[in-house]
Amino acid sequence: MTAKDQPQKRCSWYSAGLNARAIEMSSIDRKLLDELREILGDGGIVSRATELKVYECDGWTVEKSIPDVLLLPRSTSQLSAILAALHRRGVAFVPRGAGTGLSGGCLPLNAPAMICTSKMNRIVEIDLDNRRVVAESGVVNLHITNAVKAKGFFYAPDPSSQVACTIGGNIAENSGGPHTLKYGVTTNHVLALELVLPEGDVVELGDPTEERCGYDLVGAVVGAEGTTGIVTRATLKLMREPENHRTLLATFPDADTATHAVSKIIASGIVPAALEMMDQLIIQAVEQAFNVGLPLDAGAVLIIELEGLEAGLTSHADEVTKTALAAGASSIRLARDEAERALLWKARKRAFGAVGRLAPNYATQDGVVPRTCLPRILRVIADVSRRYDLRIGNVFHAGDGNLHPIILYDEREPDQVRRAIEAGREILKACIEMGGSLTGEHGIGVEKIGEMALMFSPDDLRVMTELRHVFDPLERSNPGKVIPQPGTCVEVAAPRRQVPI
Amino acid sequence: MRRGCRAAPPGTDLVAATEIVAVTTSSNLANRLDSIVGTGHVRAPTNSEARAADTIVEPGSVEEICELVRMCEADRIALAPMGAARSLAVIRPSPVALGISMARLARIVAYEPDDMTIVAESGITVGALNTAMGSARQRLPVDPCNPSVTTLGSLVCAAHSGPLRLSEGTSRDLLIGVRFVGHGGNLVHGGGRVVKNVAGYDLMKLMGGSFGTLGIVTEVTFKVRPVPAEYWVAVIPCARAADAFAAARIVNDALPLSNLDILSPSFARRFNSTLQFLLLAGFSGSPLEIGYQAERIRDLVGPRGEILDDEAALRSYGLLRDLDFRSAPLAAQIAVPLAHLGRALEACGDDIEFRAHAGSGVAQILLADEPSAERAVKTVARWREAAHSARGTLRLLAATPAIRDSLEVFDTPNAGALSLMRRLKAAFDPAGIFNPGCFVGGI
Repeated sequence: MTAKDQPQKRCSWYSAGLNARAIEMSSIDRKLLDELREILGDGGIVSRATELKVYECDGWTVEKSIPDVLLLPRSTSQLSAILAALHRRGVAFVPRGAGTGLSGGCLPLNAPAMICTSKMNRIVEIDLDNRRVVAESGVVNLHITNAVKAKGFFYAPDPSSQVACTIGGNIAENSGGPHTLKYGVTTNHVLALELVLPEGDVVELGDPTEERCGYDLVGAVVGAEGTTGIVTRATLKLMREPENHRTLLATFPDADTATHAVSKIIASGIVPAALEMMDQLIIQAVEQAFNVGLPLDAGAVLIIELEGLEAGLTSHADEVTKTALAAGASSIRLARDEAERALLWKARKRAFGAVGRLAPNYATQDGVVPRTCLPRILRVIADVSRRYDLRIGNVFHAGDGNLHPIILYDEREPDQVRRAIEAGREILKACIEMGGSLTGEHGIGVEKIGEMALMFSPDDLRVMTELRHVFDPLERSNPGKVIPQPGTCVEVAAPRRQVPI
Repeated sequence: MRRGCRAAPPGTDLVAATEIVAVTTSSNLANRLDSIVGTGHVRAPTNSEARAADTIVEPGSVEEICELVRMCEADRIALAPMGAARSLAVIRPSPVALGISMARLARIVAYEPDDMTIVAESGITVGALNTAMGSARQRLPVDPCNPSVTTLGSLVCAAHSGPLRLSEGTSRDLLIGVRFVGHGGNLVHGGGRVVKNVAGYDLMKLMGGSFGTLGIVTEVTFKVRPVPAEYWVAVIPCARAADAFAAARIVNDALPLSNLDILSPSFARRFNSTLQFLLLAGFSGSPLEIGYQAERIRDLVGPRGEILDDEAALRSYGLLRDLDFRSAPLAAQIAVPLAHLGRALEACGDDIEFRAHAGSGVAQILLADEPSAERAVKTVARWREAAHSARGTLRLLAATPAIRDSLEVFDTPNAGALSLMRRLKAAFDPAGIFNPGCFVGGI
């Protein structure tokens, strides 16, 4: 591998067909700034470069870009007013929740204004009779469950960042989490939305029922990565807490054996609520950080959670235990109590944080393969790790076939950055070749936009662009995301940093 | 003049468009259709299809559909995809010029039991699909009335569902990939073959419930589920509807049921119920889970009713699933927030019969006797008022030809949403040929 220190452009391949315009985006002048300050008050606007530095990236830290101004509306009407003001001047914007995204979804590309919904954080209505809750988009994911769990309910999507990430961000990215194996992702739990269109118009989409009237525009907005305007409020479904759980920790000599066991368990007809895998590198990191008692000599572990009626759980757990041992597990144990279960989940959900101890930087991939291809893709990842001379850890949603290879690197060494990106791309390519997807729950963002053409034809992308234009004809809401286009070339290896002065 | 539907987007000259249709639906058209799909695959509609389309073609490949779309766009001929044409017959005010039958596109493309996903062409029926998965003890758990005639295309595009929606969701929750022929005759795909996927916009959601107005779905990919080891059902007679809804709520709060349905008197009688209303609570799982749930239900609702097991349970489930609303003179589906369903049905009037999915807030309702046009209008207005005052929606499922024209099939979405829907329609169907003039707001 040669150590080239040249920025590598991922320019768009995509120019055929559509009226693909290199869209001129206006910037923010003092007059507009005054107008925005008038709407939001002093506390609702941040324009000092030193303070804006915090917003230079989300959880995808490979690329950075600082907005010119950060706007913090407190209500739908304020948000509507600022979008109308930006629209009059042709200024593009990027919506942001808590900035916990992992694909650079809220990285500003030609978008001078960043609009953060974190101050719109009220739970508006809790309606347990109808098993739903209405929340503003800045509400933190876990706060929903916290507000209803005493009554035996919960909000199902549980991304690892759920202590911080917001409902608005979850909707933009169609977030998942370990328990999506049983419950599905965000889109399966959103009934209705209040959306502010890029011109500032407020629209209500969907109904508080389980049927839709007309086109399913809620379904179109969820997962659109903020390219259809800004969601201000959502009606979410609540689920009934299951009667009980069994959480098992199965230890395997190597990752290959563990992934074979995944298919065997699912094929036995028992669909767990969650089925997660961590490999040796991650086990070591998690143990160093949290000391939860994971076996340090294990090649891989599976966390298997069963839930449902107490009457059936013991026999299901026995059956899973038998299946796992027959598939090569060296041992399997049951979490003794709620405390031990909580510790296992803490280890799993904070694995990303623990990885911070292993290297200065890491990039997380989010490819998906059909479950039966897990053994093959893990062999590919191991091979990529060797060839690119980078350590790659695996902690992922095995039951869904949703990988999270964590590629460790040091951003101070440009060649490592370049290799990390190349390695990630090679893994994604392999996922697609196995009939999989670029992303299971993190979104395309800036990270994978160059790979969209691996998965979608020009006709597919043209139609998706037509859909985007229904909501945002001028592409001012999070420009440059989801669909690759000219004018959104992303420079990697030389991360963008605007002058912070 | 022909009944051929005018295919023109709002704002264009409808008269001119009609003339084009009149000219092209001559022998000239028949010849061109023959040349695309082959002789023998162009036919007149059967009696049950006559309300849906004037001419039926049965393409044998996706390429033929692409070519049909291009031809229809060039000549402004309205077309619509169809399975058994039952939904089209209700929603269309007049037949579309060309019905695209999916009967010859009915293959399973890929099925990998260990991945629990299946890819199939949209013309295969739900019943045939589930038969093919039977040996692996898996199924697509969406259960419309008469699955042996409901095609996957219809299941998705006309948003059919059944009692199992409580535990398994609807096709919206299980559809993970779609291929459709859109404008320009281009084949477009969204999603994929993996159970979790957020790459690109969610075109599956757009096609769901779109009634063929955005394109022709040719292939779908579903997540599938294991068939539970056992299925039993508790059959609980109740004197009043309110009692049935109260009992339903108690069991729904206590147990993860498979289905939970309430039947009005004339349906209840088919289950040999001696009382007016009937609550059917289906539950499934391993033998241990089944035994436990049966006992819990007995504790919760007391000694009334009985619990059917095995064959008897499956028989009664089949009867429940196949209650036929689309053959009624007038029928509709109401959807409200779940706790309001009992009250909303009460507000629909005492002349209705219903099947309520009590755990989902969705019910099908019908009038048993054919009403006059005047009474039909009044009845549907009352139903709509009942749905709307509970913050819900209503959609017609059936209306006889005599009364159909005086009724709106769909509710009208709010102005903001409708304006986006019109833009969506214009973007996906610039020539205005895909099943025009029968969806919400006249789309």
